[in-house]
Amino acid sequence: MYKAIRSESFAAWAFMAPGLLFLAIFTFWPIIYGIPLSLTDYSVITETHFVGLDNFTRAFQDHNFLISLWNSLVYVLVVPVIQIISILMAILVNSRIPGVKMFRAAYYIPVVTSMVAVALIWSWLLGNNGVVNYLLLKVGILSEQVSWLSTSSTALYVLMFITMWKGLGYYMMLYLAGLQGIPADLYEAARVDGAGPLRLIIHVTLPLLRPHILFCTVISVMGAVRVFDEVYILTKGGPGTSTLTSSVYIFQKGLEQFNFGYASALGLIVSVMVAALSVLVFRLNRRGGVNTY
Amino acid sequence: MKKGLRHLIIYVLLILLALFMMGPFLWLLSVSLMPGRNVFANPPAILPTFIAFDNYVQVWEFMDFPRYIINTVVITLLGVVFNIFLSCLTAYPLATFRFRGRNLVFTLLISTMIIPSATAMIVHYLTIQAFHLGNTFLGVVLPAAVSVFNIFLMRQTFLGIPTDIRDSGKMDGASEFRIFVQLVMPLVKPGVAVIGLLEVMAFWNNFLWPIVVLDDPQKYPLAAALTYLNGQFSYNFGWIAAGTMISVLPIIIVFLFTQKYYMEGIAGAIKG
Repeated sequence: MYKAIRSESFAAWAFMAPGLLFLAIFTFWPIIYGIPLSLTDYSVITETHFVGLDNFTRAFQDHNFLISLWNSLVYVLVVPVIQIISILMAILVNSRIPGVKMFRAAYYIPVVTSMVAVALIWSWLLGNNGVVNYLLLKVGILSEQVSWLSTSSTALYVLMFITMWKGLGYYMMLYLAGLQGIPADLYEAARVDGAGPLRLIIHVTLPLLRPHILFCTVISVMGAVRVFDEVYILTKGGPGTSTLTSSVYIFQKGLEQFNFGYASALGLIVSVMVAALSVLVFRLNRRGGVNTY
Repeated sequence: MKKGLRHLIIYVLLILLALFMMGPFLWLLSVSLMPGRNVFANPPAILPTFIAFDNYVQVWEFMDFPRYIINTVVITLLGVVFNIFLSCLTAYPLATFRFRGRNLVFTLLISTMIIPSATAMIVHYLTIQAFHLGNTFLGVVLPAAVSVFNIFLMRQTFLGIPTDIRDSGKMDGASEFRIFVQLVMPLVKPGVAVIGLLEVMAFWNNFLWPIVVLDDPQKYPLAAALTYLNGQFSYNFGWIAAGTMISVLPIIIVFLFTQKYYMEGIAGAIKG
């Protein structure tokens, strides 16, 4: 018996070895190595020195970094909007009517296309003479053209809108899976008790979707804090620092200016904040007591 | 009658949403088929006055698309093969074997999901340079060769396989590896299809890491080449629109043909 367990143990590690090796190099190592790196002034160009906590004290005096943290925090405001709209979309595409699967696929297409393509399309649509301005002027919502992406007061919100638009289909699918797991007789029972459609959603659908809402909220919070692609392609943080999010700033410091040490310190600070934020989301959701995870 | 009205409302909402989600793509298609530069027209042209494929022909002649497509296909294939191979091997013992350290491995894996590594890309860059894999496709693929998400997904799938199968294989004297390859793997084909599809999309659309690793733009995959095209020809809308359509179409087609598995897999991933 003992021998059987030992050989099973050996086999298990043998199976996992290649995968764990890759994870060690490309997942664990960056987390571990980031710490010593953050205590140095490592850059490819000059000699490396140990600088202690200098990078961290510098970070909290770095005006642009603080702005980037604030922008990332503002970016998280996109999360509740995504959740509400995608839940409503999921309810809509959960209807049993002919052709509904076609619509599900259509809503999912922004998810599978590359951010490069999505960003290109929206940058044109949102341009000065673009379709968005044209339509809004025509309807009378706007009185003059807005250059959405190059105006400080609108650029960040426009990026958030694009993130939302691209992600809706993904969250819709996750919520749809949740909806399909809700037994139909629960709705029947509530209906017999005289509940209307709105009350069905509030009293049956939403409570039963709780685990899905938790999951989707956590991954979209992480996504929002780490947002990079759309910002980098469309505005590179500009105009000024109006769309400078923390990932973009870290990328600029690290892979554009080759300040690896400083960028690692910034990355560490942001990582700790994201971890704290996800723990907070878990806590908030657990308070209700409904949790299947 | 009441049901008919309800259906009508649902269809109207579905169509409005479809316009919102698909509209930008349809407009892109329309721009790519517009001859000349009438995209710059004011008011903006939404539908082409007549359809022409000039943009496609010209951009195809100008950019070496076959090369970029081959680059993308090679990177994607490598990435998919690595991911399937590594995540199946890693997930299988986690689902079926009893061994010391199992919980440790599991906790380690979960912790990587909670701690996001914003610095990862910088360290990856250093690692790839240290392995002398800069400017190679392997350098593009290796950092994403296995993902914790895929391991979880495959573990979920392996958990659904009855234990009798492994026992019966053992009775016949087969080795663990043989049991895995010949008895277990054929049963998890749907799971493999799902992680395969997920990775096809991820690698096909990846643009930033390839730009960081590859010094030579001739080695760029499509998405990266597109940013290049955009940087150089920001004045030529039609070309960029056509180029973007060319880069987007394959992945949309793959998705449309496989959406059933893909969507079930995405949905199943969080049920666990």
